[in-house]
Amino acid sequence: MSYSTHTTPSGFLLPSIHAAQAFYTKQRNQQTQAIFTENWSRLILAYARHKRLFTLRLEDAETSGNPWDEIFRNTRINRRLFPNHLSHILQDMVSKNLAVYDPPKQTSSVLLFWRTPEEWADVLYEWADSTGLMNSILTFYDITEPVVPSQLSDIPVAILRRAINVLVKVNRAQLIAVADGEGVRFLAQTGR
Amino acid sequence: MHRLGGVGLAAFERQQQSQKSFAELSNELSQTQVNHLHDQLAQFRNALIRFASTHRDSIRRDPKFRHEFQRMCATIGVDPLAGPRKGGWWAEMLNLGDWNYELGVQIVDVCVSTRERNGGLIEMGELVRMVSKLRGVAGGVVTEDDVIRSIKTLKPLGAGYEVLDVGSGKKMVRSVPKELDEDQSVVLAVAQEEGGRVTEDLLISRRRWTPERARAALENMLLRDGLCWLDEQDEEGVSYWVPSAMRWEE
Repeated sequence: MSYSTHTTPSGFLLPSIHAAQAFYTKQRNQQTQAIFTENWSRLILAYARHKRLFTLRLEDAETSGNPWDEIFRNTRINRRLFPNHLSHILQDMVSKNLAVYDPPKQTSSVLLFWRTPEEWADVLYEWADSTGLMNSILTFYDITEPVVPSQLSDIPVAILRRAINVLVKVNRAQLIAVADGEGVRFLAQTGR
Repeated sequence: MHRLGGVGLAAFERQQQSQKSFAELSNELSQTQVNHLHDQLAQFRNALIRFASTHRDSIRRDPKFRHEFQRMCATIGVDPLAGPRKGGWWAEMLNLGDWNYELGVQIVDVCVSTRERNGGLIEMGELVRMVSKLRGVAGGVVTEDDVIRSIKTLKPLGAGYEVLDVGSGKKMVRSVPKELDEDQSVVLAVAQEEGGRVTEDLLISRRRWTPERARAALENMLLRDGLCWLDEQDEEGVSYWVPSAMRWEE
């Protein structure tokens, strides 16, 4: 048999290492595990982006029937990723700022940064600009549940807040207290 | 009565005279020989230049022709890469020097870029495939023979590239200066037979090893050398996978 890429029913292209039996075992050789961890985190982020998944929990590797089955289970070779292995991978991703434990102070659930907060900030600012919402006060809800679906639909508030903070630092946004919580105002760039 | 050489001062002069003419004759003779050799060399060079210009493309493009050419050079004791000048004039005229060095660089490229995955051990077939892919269609066909020859030219660099015979006609190229012991070579050979998978039981039944020996060899390859991967979900319990013996398609 040979090890090749494979396209899942949802149209995601799995790398050839996903067909390797040993990829699902936590390696005792540190160097080998580092390679596996890197491949897993790349795979997780690419898949999350493909399916627009923001959250990953350890249980997703425990039970089947969730959106992660396509990558955590390989029925063609009868292998699966176990939660303790996933936990190790998540820890590494958090240490490399590719994910963040959310809620904080636990280690069984993360938010995935398949776009960095800086990249989300650009998306956010362009969205506000193109929809003519510069200088208006928006609630977080206006952004995460827009009338016209956008790239930001359903974005977790924790990620949104990071993106806004990036913009605040460069004076392109302002955090504002509104009646039912927090709001934001995007500021048009002047003098350029 | 005269003795042949005579006596006295006159005889001495006569002897000197004849010695001189002998020397002159000898000089003349060697000069002719040298000239003759020069002529031969010039002829040889011309023939070579003719050969090179006629066959250069065939040598670079056609692996079978190249192989025959290399063999011909070997039988007459000429190294097509060696010579008085840098690269040698064979190499220069055939552009074979560049060709070989270029191939060497590509081999190093493939070995280094796959080292993470295979621990510095690559199967010859895969190496040839990947080098060919790197060269593209325009680069012509490269054979196992070319790769082996090129690896030999890498030797003076001391990078430790070596071609290993792992049995049943299979070869591997090692690009890390790690000595493989005999047991590891056996494990590699079994992995080759099994598409990359090795277990303690396979080593015990096929090679009549003791369980201790099998375990030690596999553990060393796994932990010390990073030359194989562990699979704890194997249907038979635990297995080891040698990535360089697995067939990757990318």
